Amino acid sequence: MSFLTPLFLVALAGLAVPVIIHLIQRERKNVVQFPSLMFLQRIPYQSVQRRRIRNWPLLLLRLAALALIVAAFARPFFRRQALAAAGSGGAREVVILIDNSYSMAYGDRWSRATQEARTAIGQIGPSDRASIVFFSSAAEVALKSTPDRSRLTAAVGTGKPGAGATRYGPALKLAGSMASESTLPRREVIMISDFQRTGWQGAEGVRLPDGVTLRPRPISDSNISNLSITPVSLQRSTFSEQDRVTVTGGVTNHSSSPASNVEVSLEIDGRAVQTERVSVEPNSSASVTFAPFTPAKTNTRGTVRIATDKLPLDNSFNFVVSPKEPVRIIIAERPGALRDTSLYLSRALALGEAPPFDITTRSVDSLSTEDLQRASVVILNDAPVAQLTAERLGAFVARGGGLLVAMGSRATWPSGAGSTDILGATLGQPIDRSTGQAARLGALEYGDPIFEAFRAPRSGDFSGARFYSYRSVQPVKDGQVLARFDDGAPALVARRVGNGRVLLWTSSLDLQGNDLPLKAVFLPFVHRMVTTLASYTERPSWLKVGDVLEAGRAAPVPGASRQVQPRVVLTPSGERVTLDGEGPDVLELTEQGFYEVRAQGRDAAPPMTVASNVDLSESDLTPMDPQEVVAGVLGRAGGAVPAGTNVSTTDQEQEKNQRVWWYLLFVGIVILGLETLVGNRISRSGPVQV
Amino acid sequence: MPWRCHDPGCEKGQEKREKDLLTTSSVPGARFVDPVVLSRIGNLELVARHVVDGFINGMHRSPYFGASVDFAEHRGYVAGDDIRRVDWRLYARTDRFYIKEYEADTNANFSVLLDVSKSMGFGSRGLSKLEYAKMLAGCLTYLVHKQRDRVGLIAFDSDIVAHVPPSAKHMDVVLHTLDRLAPSGPGSLRAPLHKMAEHFGRRGLLVLVSDLYEEPDAVLEAIGPLRFRGNDLIVFHLLDQAELDFTFDTPAAFEDLESGVQIPVVPDKLAEQYRSLVRAHIDGLQERFSANRIDYSVVNTSSPLDHALFSYLTTRERLTRVR
Repeated sequence: MSFLTPLFLVALAGLAVPVIIHLIQRERKNVVQFPSLMFLQRIPYQSVQRRRIRNWPLLLLRLAALALIVAAFARPFFRRQALAAAGSGGAREVVILIDNSYSMAYGDRWSRATQEARTAIGQIGPSDRASIVFFSSAAEVALKSTPDRSRLTAAVGTGKPGAGATRYGPALKLAGSMASESTLPRREVIMISDFQRTGWQGAEGVRLPDGVTLRPRPISDSNISNLSITPVSLQRSTFSEQDRVTVTGGVTNHSSSPASNVEVSLEIDGRAVQTERVSVEPNSSASVTFAPFTPAKTNTRGTVRIATDKLPLDNSFNFVVSPKEPVRIIIAERPGALRDTSLYLSRALALGEAPPFDITTRSVDSLSTEDLQRASVVILNDAPVAQLTAERLGAFVARGGGLLVAMGSRATWPSGAGSTDILGATLGQPIDRSTGQAARLGALEYGDPIFEAFRAPRSGDFSGARFYSYRSVQPVKDGQVLARFDDGAPALVARRVGNGRVLLWTSSLDLQGNDLPLKAVFLPFVHRMVTTLASYTERPSWLKVGDVLEAGRAAPVPGASRQVQPRVVLTPSGERVTLDGEGPDVLELTEQGFYEVRAQGRDAAPPMTVASNVDLSESDLTPMDPQEVVAGVLGRAGGAVPAGTNVSTTDQEQEKNQRVWWYLLFVGIVILGLETLVGNRISRSGPVQV
Repeated sequence: MPWRCHDPGCEKGQEKREKDLLTTSSVPGARFVDPVVLSRIGNLELVARHVVDGFINGMHRSPYFGASVDFAEHRGYVAGDDIRRVDWRLYARTDRFYIKEYEADTNANFSVLLDVSKSMGFGSRGLSKLEYAKMLAGCLTYLVHKQRDRVGLIAFDSDIVAHVPPSAKHMDVVLHTLDRLAPSGPGSLRAPLHKMAEHFGRRGLLVLVSDLYEEPDAVLEAIGPLRFRGNDLIVFHLLDQAELDFTFDTPAAFEDLESGVQIPVVPDKLAEQYRSLVRAHIDGLQERFSANRIDYSVVNTSSPLDHALFSYLTTRERLTRVR
């Protein structure tokens, strides 16, 4: 048996206290009055050591209780396992972390890393267990806790450098949890990596459990030289009514020697269209701007590429561009309306570039089904709507179209249930605020996408607009009031119908009922309403490895059905991944290249292409001191734990697991209670000694 | 009579009688004259060993020739004799001067010398030595008073605490004084006994009741002046049972009742030596008192009072007959 805090055993000297009480204190309390000590004083004094202890059980109980309590404070534990482990080296739980970020593809790093892993596996004894974990930005367990060296070696062989960037935190967290689950006395984490500085942002809250040692196995190169591409910038312009894209790429030289005549080429749909040469100074960058090109079709694939070097993955950068697809809008007016009825509305929409708006003005009576199939959004600008038109609009919205109804003084909507009941509110009487104080917009629902852009201070002031007339409405059950006037009357009511959305603006979109079109917020307000109704989202030209591809929302098609359809994702390596809507409708990008998402079915949308690029911060191969990682996760310098420290931490854990002190303390307290009972009984029933 | 038995059932048993000894009567001092005790010793006569001079006729023979009716002898006149006592008739016949002497019965002075030092307050079984001594003194006083002797009392510790001069009328005073006595201070024998010896102008019977915690020679030296005056001295040596046997078994601090000094004592180791020392002390006293013709009796306060009185008076009478 060993003790964690043996200094407490000094308190065993307190065992003398009950003895002294039994021998001395008891007599001091009893004073016998005697007539004369004349005879007693003639007799030699008898020392206390010869006094008799009469209550041996009581004394033994007290001594036992004290000894147990003192022993409990000394935290005893049995060190059988530790002794066995110390004698034979101990069974080990080894977690081998192998960096498979794409920087490990530099030169022969990967082969050296696997060789290092095999060496570590070869050192595993028959009673040891080991796990194989590959990590880059995330950690993946290849084989968990087995003593079988052949399986471990085979697991190492299944790995290869991926496209991810190095992040030490997730791997160390996983290794710590795996080590803490083990019951073996010695636990080690072996990290095989190139120890790039870019992969370490401080300790990241990672802390290995006590008793776990971290042994770094750095894979380093003495003379590192690497050229990498930088993220491209795409500049769009319009020339001769054609959308043109100007690509600017860059080259970074991660070495101490200059690079001259570096070929930088632009490939469009797999065909090199332009090649430039550039010289790059050591540890600096240079950029190349290519001639503008016109994307001929949707999902045009582009790549900027430099010559291959030891690290090929950071030598190309992919992107996808598409011609700008305008949002098709139909403005429906009342028959016989004046020419400038929708002046402010059409002017505001004409200014849109991202996205551009294709505006068609129609009389509400002449809205045909073909018009509605081409359009994404229909705006009813103060128009009376007949029953047939209302039904068509209802069907249009149900398919996913957007409808904005501006309720001027002449606007009507057929009442009744069925397919025409799509407005967010039932219409009431017009309210005239032209006399007295005009109404103003009071409460806005900033949580809605329409008003979200105006949430920040000085990003749009609606309170300056005055409203002289508007229509009183009563919101229906599923109608959501997004804006109210200062008297509480709804100003903008939204309602989702089928796959589409309907907005009801209870005033006009011209100067007839308000002066909002004269305010600065009018243009962004109209743009937000239209883009929200059209469900327009701007798609990024590329994603990074590790990002998530949301295939379900990838390609909004105007007027198309938005029901969930099975989708097939074709990865750059040619693998087909089916997203059938039952599992997660997302896919994590793991490769560099172009992912193609195809919808299946008769009404399938056109395929969508997503460009995937590696994290270019990984191309900086500057190494760091592995001890920095060790110190960060262990809280001390040095990967190899000193023998004494290791034993002591093991002692603490063993003591913590055994918890012998708890039992000793419990028994000690029980004995103290028993001592109290015995003591009381003796004092009550004992003869009075005079 | 203030000392009559106030409990009708007092004759039924020894335990009852002992209990009654401790019962306080409405009459002060009455408890010291227990009829049970007196019934044992009432048929005995306390006869003084020596004839003491007195004024009233009694049962004591006077050591002097005096004005008694019983003629004793003639003796020749010596200068200084009272000429009124010259037998003139004999002078007429013989022409010589003779003095006519008579034997006269006298009453005696009886005084109890009671030690009231703090050590007398010790008692291991509820009855302290002082209380026992009070009862003993009361019984003797009463008995002597019945013989028309004069009774007195002197209580002392290291000095004289109470003093009742001997008188035939002081019976009640003696009993009252006895009742008020309590253990007072540290005691000694020499100073008070020497002091009181100066007050005894007449020879009489002195009863010393004490625990005699002094060396035998010192005790003898202390009572020497009393003896020199021709007093008849009886010594009752009162000891508790615990003092005799030392029956303690618990180690404890023993505190001297008079000096307050404490010493740790382990009775198991001391008892035998203590008992031998006490025996030697008693033997020493016995030897010295016998040599000086002083009646000495060790009284164990655990023994009944009447037993002690009975055994003593029996001894006393036997000695008187022998004489």
